[in-house]
Amino acid sequence: MTNVHRQIERDAALWLARRDAGGWADRQQAGLDAWLAENTAHRVAFLRLEAAWQESARLQAFAAGEVAGRIPARGEWARSPYFTGSQARAVVGRDRRTVQRKRRRWPVFAGIAASLLVTAALAGGFVWRNYTRVDHATWQTAMGARQVVRLPDGSTATLGSETDLRMAFSRGKRYLELSRGEAFFDVAHDAARPFVVHANGYRVTAVGTRFDVRRDAGQLRVVVTRGLVRLQSAHDPAKPPAMLPAGSIATVAGDDVAISRVTLDEAREALSWRSGFVVFHRTPLAEAVREFNRYNPRQIVIADPSLDALRVGGNFRLDNSDAFVRLMQAVFPVQAQQRGREIVLTRKSQAHTAH
Amino acid sequence: MGSRVDDWFVREVLVHEQALMRFLRRNWRDRDEVPDLRQEVYVRVYEAATRRLPDSPKSFLFATARNLLVDRVRHQRIVPITAVGDIEQLHVMKDELEPCRWLGGREALARLARALDRLPDRCREVVWLRRIEDLPQKEIARRLGISEKTVEKHIAKGSRMLADHFHGGSDPGVAPGKLRSARAWLGQST
Repeated sequence: MTNVHRQIERDAALWLARRDAGGWADRQQAGLDAWLAENTAHRVAFLRLEAAWQESARLQAFAAGEVAGRIPARGEWARSPYFTGSQARAVVGRDRRTVQRKRRRWPVFAGIAASLLVTAALAGGFVWRNYTRVDHATWQTAMGARQVVRLPDGSTATLGSETDLRMAFSRGKRYLELSRGEAFFDVAHDAARPFVVHANGYRVTAVGTRFDVRRDAGQLRVVVTRGLVRLQSAHDPAKPPAMLPAGSIATVAGDDVAISRVTLDEAREALSWRSGFVVFHRTPLAEAVREFNRYNPRQIVIADPSLDALRVGGNFRLDNSDAFVRLMQAVFPVQAQQRGREIVLTRKSQAHTAH
Repeated sequence: MGSRVDDWFVREVLVHEQALMRFLRRNWRDRDEVPDLRQEVYVRVYEAATRRLPDSPKSFLFATARNLLVDRVRHQRIVPITAVGDIEQLHVMKDELEPCRWLGGREALARLARALDRLPDRCREVVWLRRIEDLPQKEIARRLGISEKTVEKHIAKGSRMLADHFHGGSDPGVAPGKLRSARAWLGQST
């Protein structure tokens, strides 16, 4: 009896490894599905392995800008500034030689430490404008637009609908200001020049990373899909920063910062707008409508507040709000009317829903 | 494409594995059987959830674990009849009911890092290249000069070990004495 579950776990691991190898055909997926359906013990074993396997990609937080192919020795994690945090400075001050040696053996973490120090120094009173600016640029996108912008350091920014982004890159710093809209950044690693995005009174500092910053009325959202991002109030340097590893979604409203940890797939899903899609999972209708309204001049208006809480799921094209509205009418007691440039959603009358 | 129950199981049940393992180790003499008991508990919980999602997943998980142990005891007739009354008292300790979400940022990362560090050398290398550097298995095989089949085996093994360390946390502290009586492991010691 004892070995039953152990054998099942071995089989589950083989399925997982084979699927992970790529080139996974429908036929193989059907095989896996059949195996999972055969026995609940198969399913729970597989889910358990899969959950840990997916989570392990979070370790990419340590590999931010890592020299590819270099695998850190055991226990080196502990020296990552991600764990030592603000003590990085104290360590540097105490024993220079150790740091020098570490720098060679552990270039990335040293780089991160350096950028942390720079950020700390900035918080301590450096002023941006004192740097000699090298590059300036401003971008604006129209409603519904998406635009990929190549930055002079090799990073890219993908701009969403109605977005204003201003760039000022100096020798010591890469500075961006998002005054409106949403942008996804794929940051080229350069430990000597921190990559900082200012938005809504917050400073989002990247360390060789992929992340998304989005401004809504009074709200800021940061989604991290790779590496590590540091989120700090620009007004109040005394407030402790939040470190956001890959798989974090931070929402800032005023002084409140809420951080949720999600799987990397979920984090990436939140960024589907880059390919023109939006994904909902039990999303309140009001929120779903806001997403469409970001991208379409024809605005959807919910006239009946009792509809706000309806839950919506699915994968939609952002520029096709008609399809969305049609589907809403098909599955919910919802009626849509065209009024000028607006689509107004109301609750279907009782008589209507009855048959 | 996780179903509703799959997602629920990962989010609401697996997160308590560490506490569950503590509970099982404390209440079951044969350590070797604990991983099997755990999987058996998962099967029962999952099957119950397909009929209806329990309101309080954690209490339900521990109630299921407790019932399973009771069933096993009765089935195996290890315990004299007189002790059966005590089985009902198999209680869950307070620390086992405290929240222990593994999705807690820094702590979760530290746990993952430790889990990775416990893998054997080659296995750790393969997992690093696959998960952190995102290299395809084929490329890993080429780079390390091993066959793709071997890479796959390392991934399979790595996924199992990662799951044990990540969900279950560190190894048990004190091994239970073999001589502990049935009464002792039935919760009488408290």
